[in-house]
Amino acid sequence: MKSRWHQYRNSIGWLYILLLLNIITSCTQKKTPKMYIVEIKQMQFQPADLTVQDGDTVAWINHDMVPHDITEEKSKSWTSGPLLPNKSWSMPVTKSADYYCSIHVVMKGRITVQ
Amino acid sequence: MKIKFFANWAAHTIIGAAILSMPAFAQQSPQLSDAEIASVAVTANQIDINNANIAKQKTRNEEVLKFAQTMATDHKAVIDQAVALVTKLGVTPKDNAISKKLLADAAQTEKALHSKNGDAFNKAYIDNEVTYHQAVINVVENVLIPQAQNKQLKELLQSVAPVLHSHLEHAQMIQKQIVK
Ligand SMILES: [Cu+2]
Repeated sequence: MKSRWHQYRNSIGWLYILLLLNIITSCTQKKTPKMYIVEIKQMQFQPADLTVQDGDTVAWINHDMVPHDITEEKSKSWTSGPLLPNKSWSMPVTKSADYYCSIHVVMKGRITVQ
Repeated sequence: MKIKFFANWAAHTIIGAAILSMPAFAQQSPQLSDAEIASVAVTANQIDINNANIAKQKTRNEEVLKFAQTMATDHKAVIDQAVALVTKLGVTPKDNAISKKLLADAAQTEKALHSKNGDAFNKAYIDNEVTYHQAVINVVENVLIPQAQNKQLKELLQSVAPVLHSHLEHAQMIQKQIVK
């Protein structure tokens, strides 16, 4: 009788802890910046259009055999510099931007900060 | 002067027509071995590096210069990959009708490019880059990829195609700017 009560109380306790953990992780998830990956392959940014939250980080990985770069298009306010094959470059994003590859000017992408 | 210009123009048109007719020419030719395909790939890339080197010396247009630098870098990267692969596979590139034709046409183009300066040079270089990339895309997609036997060689050629397409679009963009 006593052990059954114990079992019951224990399972309620565990449920409570799980619920609490769930709340904590979902809260921290909202605050922790996320990491997004843009793959460069077949001479394209994939995805070419990406929506992020203010402060999230975007990383670009070059899977092509040629060097690329990631350059803000309008005023060239930021650039990765040449990104060699199999290398990556990342940047925390605070502002929406149209970007392109200044080496292959027909390659274009966009980040939208929500 | 007028005669020389016409001769250049005629030579250019004939070269262009000859290169563009290559897929038909190549389709009639016998099956290429992987060694021959490797030779065509290396030759085609080396020709565009040579043209880029002429442009780097002669042009004063910043867009054209940057384009030429991209051509030199990218086509060198493709050659490096191709050489690494054939070395790994133990294949020795073997010249053939297509690689010989590419080289013969390239000699004519080089001559035409050397004879021009200023805006006329920029136009001739970019016009040729458009025509040349169209021709090479044709050969790669319609001859080299379908005929390649080795899976890695086929995959390498498949990954080169998007590079060539981006070069073509880039050249066409500059071509429009130059006309303005
Ligand atoms: Cu690029």
